Amino acid sequence: MNAFKPLLRSLSSLRLTVVLFALSIVLILAGTLAQTEQGVWMVVDLYFRSLFVLIPFQLFVPAKVLGIPGVFPFPGGMTLGVLLFVNLLAAHAVRFTLSWKRAGMIATHAGVLLLLVGEFVTGAFAKEGNMTIAEGQSANYIEDTRTSELAIIDRSDPADDLVVVVPASLLAESAQAPITSGVMPFAVRVIEWMPNARVLGPMQASKQQLARATVGTGTQVAAVAVDVATGVDGADIDTPAAYLELLHDGTSLGTYMVSPRLNAPQTVVVGAKRYDIALRFERNYRSYTVSLIDFKHDRFVGTEMARNFSSLVRLSDPTERVDREVLISMNNPLRYAGETFYQASFAPDDSGTVLQVVRNPGWMLPYLSCALVSLGLLLHFGTRLSSSVRRKIA
Amino acid sequence: MKKLAHWFPALVALGVVAFISIVLLRGFDEGDLSRAMPLEGIARIPVSAGGRTKPLDTFARNTLLRLSGRQTCEIDGGTHPAIEWILELWTNPKLAAERRVFRIDHPDVRSLLALSDATRTRFSWMEIAPKLEEVVRQAELASQIPRKKQDPFQRQISDLYGKLVEYAEVQSLRTPYTVAPLAAGEEWAPLMGADPRGRPLDTVSAQAFRGMLASYATGDSADFTQRVAGYRALLESKAEAGNLGTGSSASSFEVIMSRCEPFYQASLLYLFAFLLGCVAMLASPISPDRWKPSLLRSALIVIAIAFVLHTVGLVARIYLQGRPPVTNLYSSAVFIGWVCIPLALAGEWFARIGVLAMAASLIGFATLVVAHNLSASGDTMEMMQAVLDSNFWLATHVVVVTVGYSASFLAGFIAIFYVLGGVLTRLLRGDAMKALPKMIYGVICFAAFASFVGTVLGGIWADQSWGRFWGWDPKENGAALIVLWNLLILHARWGGMIRERGVAALAIAGNVVTAWSWFGTNMLGVGLHSYGFMDSAVFALVTFCIVQLALMSVAFVPLARWRSLAAR
Repeated sequence: MNAFKPLLRSLSSLRLTVVLFALSIVLILAGTLAQTEQGVWMVVDLYFRSLFVLIPFQLFVPAKVLGIPGVFPFPGGMTLGVLLFVNLLAAHAVRFTLSWKRAGMIATHAGVLLLLVGEFVTGAFAKEGNMTIAEGQSANYIEDTRTSELAIIDRSDPADDLVVVVPASLLAESAQAPITSGVMPFAVRVIEWMPNARVLGPMQASKQQLARATVGTGTQVAAVAVDVATGVDGADIDTPAAYLELLHDGTSLGTYMVSPRLNAPQTVVVGAKRYDIALRFERNYRSYTVSLIDFKHDRFVGTEMARNFSSLVRLSDPTERVDREVLISMNNPLRYAGETFYQASFAPDDSGTVLQVVRNPGWMLPYLSCALVSLGLLLHFGTRLSSSVRRKIA
Repeated sequence: MKKLAHWFPALVALGVVAFISIVLLRGFDEGDLSRAMPLEGIARIPVSAGGRTKPLDTFARNTLLRLSGRQTCEIDGGTHPAIEWILELWTNPKLAAERRVFRIDHPDVRSLLALSDATRTRFSWMEIAPKLEEVVRQAELASQIPRKKQDPFQRQISDLYGKLVEYAEVQSLRTPYTVAPLAAGEEWAPLMGADPRGRPLDTVSAQAFRGMLASYATGDSADFTQRVAGYRALLESKAEAGNLGTGSSASSFEVIMSRCEPFYQASLLYLFAFLLGCVAMLASPISPDRWKPSLLRSALIVIAIAFVLHTVGLVARIYLQGRPPVTNLYSSAVFIGWVCIPLALAGEWFARIGVLAMAASLIGFATLVVAHNLSASGDTMEMMQAVLDSNFWLATHVVVVTVGYSASFLAGFIAIFYVLGGVLTRLLRGDAMKALPKMIYGVICFAAFASFVGTVLGGIWADQSWGRFWGWDPKENGAALIVLWNLLILHARWGGMIRERGVAALAIAGNVVTAWSWFGTNMLGVGLHSYGFMDSAVFALVTFCIVQLALMSVAFVPLARWRSLAAR
């Protein structure tokens, strides 16, 4: 116990607190500047939910002014968060006394601890995805727009489709060697993988671009790589595309262009059997179905600026005996089955809606934290201020 | 001399009130006798642009401001109001094409257009017209480069192209929407161009609007006056049934506000108060008991009057917009200054050293100047994007977080006066040297509180809107930086790592953190890295930060060398 005390004392030091604040400030600044080049989720993983991060010097000085190569190692958000957490707990363990004078600070710090826990829970357990539904259609899966997959669908069984998926990470890494597997009816050779792509229509694309694919939709439209969406753009969805050559028994079945931007799957014929292939955002299926009855998108008169948008949907879940209509609009989400459905965006021409679906077991924590901190600070500064005003008047 | 010092504050107050009264009367002036055609009535007629119903006067001002950087137009050597320019554009386009309303700053763009006159930055449609095709071609080329990678020339040519398009749109009456909806179910529509609903544009209001323009063109002022009055009466009578979006009283009020320019007057008064404060400080060694307090009292009175005007402008915006005070960057600048004034005056009540009044007037002036520069992009009361359309969160999160910005700036500015006054002058001897650090510390406590609560409220809004309490996006991170910086100062103080001087130095550095979070995060979006230091706003921000760091370094002059601390 006695050997433990000096350690606790040094862990509880205010000096450590100040150092941790300073390091956090540098980390957040770097993580913000990094978003001029990288997507926000990439930065969150690299900087804020990591143990350590390698920060390029170049972030802090515009390349035009001075080119500085190299990186420096820095503690990541996870490390700093845990240290702040320990520092705070240790401080209260060492100096704990219950009095009115301290009550405000104790409440405030309890709130701060909750905030740190909340961010940890969110990072570890929260799931976010999108549901894109066209008017009159329904969806029973949630797409994770941060990862995609190549789906190979065998529809020969009338009861159930047989789906084999190749994760995008595999496509991105397999530059030369074809991807093969016992469950795949053909091998896939990646000719080009584009983390973020634009699809050019028949009139926009050049002959050479259209010639890259030999069969399927890719002969009419072409994909071109574009820069990944950065955090400062405000966009956080990259839509990938790929040119894939499919091989069966060593002979080519042709080169296909695949992308979630294409509306329908493409057919591949292998011998007598037909398969559908599609590059799509990773799907997570649910027991319930959401059907879009009507999507409304009001604009301010004479502008393209959204005044509000809303989706009238039918929610049905046979296993739970649920079948009802719900209106989801901006700032009015639907909460169901531990998930929350937010009006996020819409399909081109207002033909459908995009709902953001979030499952976050820790969503209550920031609310509790906010209440605790506000109360604590009011108590703390309130007592201080009233005593100094009293002194002034006296 | 003795008597003069005694009565000086009253004289200053009288002078300022007289000045304000003249300005306000000018705003209410209905007569407008000096002109051939009376413009008062038509200025107040509502039109719809950018989704907002606003007086024609506001639309004309904003359009001219975007094109030329000014709200007035030079016509035949005289300065004429925007409303006159727009009416000329609609009734005599040939003459209007000779008005110099296009501002072009970039020398390469000027030489491309063969505009050799180096003494001017504003040019007319006629001067640009011969090279119109070249402008279109260059703009087309530039449009293939993403905005944030464009060089200054490409940006200017794109901007110029945008201005020419806007000019043509306005001239052909496609913008603004001038045909008022007079019955339920109708919507605002343009007088010319495609009617979105296939409704014939021969409605009563369309006819009336055409009639007014035709009458203006003939120069028959009696007929014009009558038509305008008739149209206004028509709108008034249908205001209930129609879908006008705003009453005519609001429209008139907005015109008066644009003419009175309360923020502009307030900024002048803040500057005047600051100068009075400076004179008071200079006078303190000569007449510490008579002129110094007299001048300081005068400064406080002027600040109070300026604050009243500032408040009038703020409340007018709240009334016209039907929104809490902060809805965009412009209004945040107005609000930051507004919050600082009472905070500083409360501090002055504690300490009575004059420094806080000076800090307050300087912040009031600076923030209003910033706001003025931000208003150049057009309507400062634009409509809110759907996701931001929540008065509850605008009133809580946005207001509280902006109060946090205000307090952080106030602490930083008081610290500047403390450091400069302490090091360079003997003005802060004794009590002031003790009171100021306490003040800085108190304001930082408040800043930490407001910025923390405001930031967390923002997280809760985000959770309500898209289910993500914290997304680590640039604006959120900026707010977090302010919170952390204030907490760092407080914890370092509590831990005894820094004392009065250290708090002041870090508070000055806090100005950098706050300015970066307020503006810098917005600039990242337009590509700070590719644009370099050409943009004037970026340049201003960088200059501000360098000055702050220089001021901070002054704090590290050894305490023995601080003149206010030196023995007599």
